Amino acid sequence: MTSRGYPGDVMDGRVLLVEDDASIREVTALGLRRAGFRVATAVDGRAALAAWRAQPIDLVVLDVMLPGLDGLEVCREIRRTSSVPILMLTARTDTIDVVVGLECGADDYLRKPFDLPELVARVRAGLRRATAVVEETILTVGGLEIDPNRFVVRKAGRELTLTATEFRLLLELARRPGQVFTRELLLDRVWNHSHLGDSRLVDVAVQRLRAKVEDDPAEPRLVRTVRGVGYKLATA
Amino acid sequence: MAPGTVPPGRLRRRLTVAFVLVAGVSAGVLAGGSYLMLRQARLDGSVQRAAADARYQLVLAGQFVPLTDARRTELLTSFEGSGRHVLLVAGDTHASHPSYAPTPGPQLRAAVADGQLGYERLDGTTGRHLLVVGGRIPGSTAELYAVTDETDLIGGLDQLRTALAVGWLTVVALAAGVGHSLARRTLEPVGRASRAARAVAEGLLATRLPVRGRDEFSDWAAAFNEMTQALQTKIDDLSRAEARERRFTADVAHELRTPVTALVAAASLLADQLDALPDDARRAAELLVADVVRLRTLVEELMEISRLDAGREAVSLTPVHALTPLRDLVAAHGWAGRVVVTGDGAVLRTDPRRLERVLANLVGNAVTHGQGEVRACAARAGPLLVYEVSDQGPGIAAEHLPHLFDRFYKADPARSGPGSGLGLAIARENTRLLGGRLTVRSTPGVGTTFRLALPLTPPDTNQGAEP
Repeated sequence: MTSRGYPGDVMDGRVLLVEDDASIREVTALGLRRAGFRVATAVDGRAALAAWRAQPIDLVVLDVMLPGLDGLEVCREIRRTSSVPILMLTARTDTIDVVVGLECGADDYLRKPFDLPELVARVRAGLRRATAVVEETILTVGGLEIDPNRFVVRKAGRELTLTATEFRLLLELARRPGQVFTRELLLDRVWNHSHLGDSRLVDVAVQRLRAKVEDDPAEPRLVRTVRGVGYKLATA
Repeated sequence: MAPGTVPPGRLRRRLTVAFVLVAGVSAGVLAGGSYLMLRQARLDGSVQRAAADARYQLVLAGQFVPLTDARRTELLTSFEGSGRHVLLVAGDTHASHPSYAPTPGPQLRAAVADGQLGYERLDGTTGRHLLVVGGRIPGSTAELYAVTDETDLIGGLDQLRTALAVGWLTVVALAAGVGHSLARRTLEPVGRASRAARAVAEGLLATRLPVRGRDEFSDWAAAFNEMTQALQTKIDDLSRAEARERRFTADVAHELRTPVTALVAAASLLADQLDALPDDARRAAELLVADVVRLRTLVEELMEISRLDAGREAVSLTPVHALTPLRDLVAAHGWAGRVVVTGDGAVLRTDPRRLERVLANLVGNAVTHGQGEVRACAARAGPLLVYEVSDQGPGIAAEHLPHLFDRFYKADPARSGPGSGLGLAIARENTRLLGGRLTVRSTPGVGTTFRLALPLTPPDTNQGAEP
């Protein structure tokens, strides 16, 4: 997909932690390092983009509220060139802001105050999502050509740029075309959320996926909503 | 309309009737009294004149005694000649003019027979009113009755009476009109005032009454306006203060979040390494970690309740199987040994996350405070789905029950449980958002039951959950 993704070395993943509060930054970095990640830190949006450009990064943990350039801007800027997994930390009380964050291209989010083990688990899941699935062959569903080994999706010969999360979501649906997946099942399979998670993660990711793979995202023919249940990939 | 008050219009009618009565009675008394007095004076005058004349005529008639037939005729002719009509009763009755020949009544006859002068009013032929004054002719047994025609006098009095009656009716009609419009104009401010009071009662505190002129009503309107102004100011102040207070709570919670985030992360790191600490330090670290968890819960619940207070919480409705949230809850918290889930498999339309939040609080409380088995059941009851969560705990004293859903209310202040004191308040707010009702009943020594009644389909279903 891009030159910035380095799938494969999960336990040695390089995490960029962007957080303006010194205490949270320090203790979170400590926790991530103890879990086996290599951690680079940044205190604001500009420093984050500088750090992002200066070194290879496998996953970004990004605070939404940052002085100067805020987290949403940073997220959009990174998404222009990369599909690196982005985990948002949100201090905002409004659920709307969560959705806005996800729509800016974040893959997952955690509300402050968060549990350190929870953060570590999410980072791990995010890195795993970006890892190639070695054993599978190329799938062809509904005019899409999905290559799990190379993380590439082609539509009518044209290569589409999907983030790791979008790719995993599409792959999950494409493995059993026609089967209905509940949001909870997708949350478990794609995001590795074992607890009762927020199904809006799935809804927002589906919207983004549709924007990329559908001819007309307003009239989805491929990724269908099954009212009251979940989603399925139409075979026709 | 409250009992005992006067319906609109009736007071106006009463005022009009009173006005008409006063005007009618005073005009009637005045007109009737004047008429009667005038009538009496005129009739008395007529009698006195006739009596004086009759005395004189009797003396004159005395000149014709003894009354032979010829002298009698002469007497009658003489009287008729001077324009007077008389009756001469001497054995037979002889009238000087056939049109004026009334028959005197027995009373008059008796009085005259006694030698007195008497009078009587009689209706003559052809509708005439006659005054008959009689006496005995001196030096004779014959009686002479002078007949005066009072038709003109009575006619005049009748005309006067008719004129007065017409005048009285005019006055009454005028009084009715004036009274009606006066009553309407007098009562109009009252109607306006009651409309204004009703508007204020409905919450339109900006209602004001026009202040016109300087009468009692304008005083009253000014007082009313002052009252609504004061009320409005007070309520504005109160709601501003309340908004400030809620804003403050939200700000406090929000500001606490950043340090609490750092604390929670630090405590989590510390908890991993408790074993590496010396005994004293380990106990302190354990307490620290536990209190950080409590602090975190408190801050999160404060934020949640201030979000609910702000009224900006969205509700996203989807069909939910009634037992699913209960089963998920029991599985997620490992309560399978303590909590028994029963009930039927109805499907309701609700916000699953809020429903889970409420049920988690109720079941969690029952597990923490109750003893023995906790029962959680779901059952359809008409248009409602009713969840009941019962424990077999010590129960809650009746005086605490009404305050159980208040913020930071603790039934037993000495017992500091793990809760923040906001759990039930949040549960009730969430229930309200879902259009339901959350109630509690408890029997000390037996147990406590929380009852959550939700509509199977909330009335306001404009927010779908489908993307």
